[in-house]
Amino acid sequence: MNVTRFLIAASSLLLGLGLIAPTLTIYPQAGELTWLIKLFAPEELVISTYSILGVIQKLFQSNDIFLALILVLFSVFSPVIKLSFYWHATNQKNSKKFNSILKVIHYIGKFSMAEVFALALIIVVIKSFPGGSSAQLEWGAYMFTFSVISSIAVSLRLDSKKN
Amino acid sequence: MTDISDFDAPKPPAWFGAAIPLLLVLLAAGFYWFLTAENKKAGNENNSIQDIKLSGSLIAGQTYYIFASEIEVYPTNLENESWDQGEKGPDIRYRILWKGNAVFESITKDNSLIADWSGLSIELNWKDLLGKSVSSDDAIKAARIRFEEGEKIEVTVEDVDVASDDDMGRHEIEMAKLTIGKNEFKLKKNQTSAIRKITLRVLPVGSNVEDLANIMK
Repeated sequence: MNVTRFLIAASSLLLGLGLIAPTLTIYPQAGELTWLIKLFAPEELVISTYSILGVIQKLFQSNDIFLALILVLFSVFSPVIKLSFYWHATNQKNSKKFNSILKVIHYIGKFSMAEVFALALIIVVIKSFPGGSSAQLEWGAYMFTFSVISSIAVSLRLDSKKN
Repeated sequence: MTDISDFDAPKPPAWFGAAIPLLLVLLAAGFYWFLTAENKKAGNENNSIQDIKLSGSLIAGQTYYIFASEIEVYPTNLENESWDQGEKGPDIRYRILWKGNAVFESITKDNSLIADWSGLSIELNWKDLLGKSVSSDDAIKAARIRFEEGEKIEVTVEDVDVASDDDMGRHEIEMAKLTIGKNEFKLKKNQTSAIRKITLRVLPVGSNVEDLANIMK
């Protein structure tokens, strides 16, 4: 197996883990009244951990279909299709076909980082909540990031072979 | 006779390999899902053990919150007369005695034959919302009592009057008979007690507030 294919396989495995593993944990607090909220509405202060697929499931359950579909498109379909095209490109001997596949990949790649920005946005918003609420990235987010980095490495290797 | 070699065998289409990344994604996700499903099972078993601890008998050396969530008295006093003059019911207050000392006194519930108290009570003014801190110990209205083998507590109940308080009765309870959560004692009227029923709540001090709230329900 050549290095490019190894990187695609690694990126796929990391993507699989990144989608299902815990990505973000939210620690809700209500300042000095935290203990009081815990007594009367403990469900409001439950520490929640989400994976990307978990968030999508929750959005579907709460009927936020549009947001759920956007996330499915950008964080699941787009990276998987991109990796499939990479693999397909490694099979190509015809340079014309190879170049056209790379064009498609670069087009799809523009959509693949959307969820990373979404995560960053969520963290910034939660950090600015009153009462000491906080959010923490979990290891799933790092798996996802490494998957993106691996796919960037694949992209660079394929670009270097471009005529 | 045809002779088909590996070289001549039909090759899968070029796009077939493109399915490999998808399969790897599914493999990794499925593997993680399988592992965490096992851990969740183990976690649920541990939680059920925790539930038993919060509903079992008292542990020696442990301190507990104890309060009466409800006290019912008979409709007439120890002399078989009405509690208060006129048609008003008794104004009920109770105390918990431990080692001969009153360690808790409730607020008075006016005109009741069945009086109830919450283990939680917070008196907040509007100005308190502007930064006053209230601790959970301030809010829990109950006696703090440490359980030891052979230990007893006593609940005394009074009818609070302007002139003088009338004794409604008292009941001694062996702590070993108490369990965490709700404890009911149904009593018969006699010459020294007109208490019909006492419902005590026992909560372990130091458990998290969510558990305390669940026990108080």
